[in-house]
Amino acid sequence: MSYYDIDSILTDAEKIPCTFQLDVPDLGYLDNTPTQPLKSGTKVGLPLWLAEMLAIANTGDVEGKSFVSFDLPRALGNDVLQALKADPRAVPLRDQSAHFYALATRMMELSEEQELPAVLRRTFVTRASEIALHARKVGGVGHSKGKGAAEEGSNLGIGGAGDEFLRGLDEWERNLFRKAHDGAKAGKEWMEGVKKH
Amino acid sequence: MPMYGDLGNKLVQHAKRTQNLAHLPAYQTELVRAVTREVRDLDRDTKNLLEPFQGSFDPSADQATACTLLVNHLAMRRNKRCLLAYHRTRTDKLEELVWNGVDVLDLAGQQAGGANGAGVADGGAGGSSSLSPQEEDYFRQYGDLLAAYKGQWTDIDLTGSLEPPRDLFIDVRVLKDAGEIQTEYGAINLTKNSQFYVRQGDVDRLIAQGYLMKLG
Repeated sequence: MSYYDIDSILTDAEKIPCTFQLDVPDLGYLDNTPTQPLKSGTKVGLPLWLAEMLAIANTGDVEGKSFVSFDLPRALGNDVLQALKADPRAVPLRDQSAHFYALATRMMELSEEQELPAVLRRTFVTRASEIALHARKVGGVGHSKGKGAAEEGSNLGIGGAGDEFLRGLDEWERNLFRKAHDGAKAGKEWMEGVKKH
Repeated sequence: MPMYGDLGNKLVQHAKRTQNLAHLPAYQTELVRAVTREVRDLDRDTKNLLEPFQGSFDPSADQATACTLLVNHLAMRRNKRCLLAYHRTRTDKLEELVWNGVDVLDLAGQQAGGANGAGVADGGAGGSSSLSPQEEDYFRQYGDLLAAYKGQWTDIDLTGSLEPPRDLFIDVRVLKDAGEIQTEYGAINLTKNSQFYVRQGDVDRLIAQGYLMKLG
């Protein structure tokens, strides 16, 4: 993850629900009321680049409390986790966040949520194999090997559901899909080149 | 309600789109200016906030001010990152174009062609080029640098095609007047719509630049 990485910068813009732990007169604009002071206990959605530092910065307070406390964003909330536990393939991650995994990884560094890592790992593994499957089909490799109409038929059969699954991929998964697809295609082209010469 | 960093984010979204495009979209002069203005405003706010303390600010004694200062600082840092990443994405693209043998004049022409359509909607500088003046400089100087580097080897073309040629000689059609070129077999005058049977190595660059079209 580089300083210049565009996806990492966009992940940093994801909003996190935060609660201010002190009154700040000058920050009313964060709660859409620029003329009023921001009261302790106010809930605002702050981008990760702001929320992270405000949550971990040392305020110099004797009790060691920070400027804000935060919750997990809705994309990683209980509803989504329950759905992922039921069937990872049925959840369009992109609707939750275009940078779902990147956001989750960042949040795991900040939060002590116990269940999250295991659920996410299983989600990725299950979906990755599904992605690989789709990537090969689009490349048409199965068809070129001439395995017959049966396999081709099954491609057509799940075409609609497959499109929907691919639409729900987050940015990281999309990259994975693209790489798998390009790899299969390049492999196929190379094999055909070998035959010709 | 707009928030600090929103404009910077817009810039990065432009960069994201740029990554997936073959050409370089118009430079976001206005947006870049707005983001730098935001940084300047934040810096001024910070100075004003610190002024009454005369250089002896104690964060634990005035947490509300400390929090505001931190927010300002983070917003400035965020904007800096957005600006740098936007420009870096574009210079990466420019370097790629130089390696592909694209001419800076071609880039300008390409933009002029699309100017009455998408170019204007993009909200660019309104000039004929999709590059900022600084980017044009960068493009030219990087081109010079590459030419100097390539000049060290006379018997190999570093920017040549990686595909091994099937034939040494190929048929080409001239798409744009390209003047006279020198080859091992004498001079050829490339006038529009004429056809030639030439050595591929002699005309690779002209094909890449769109002067010639390979036939067959």
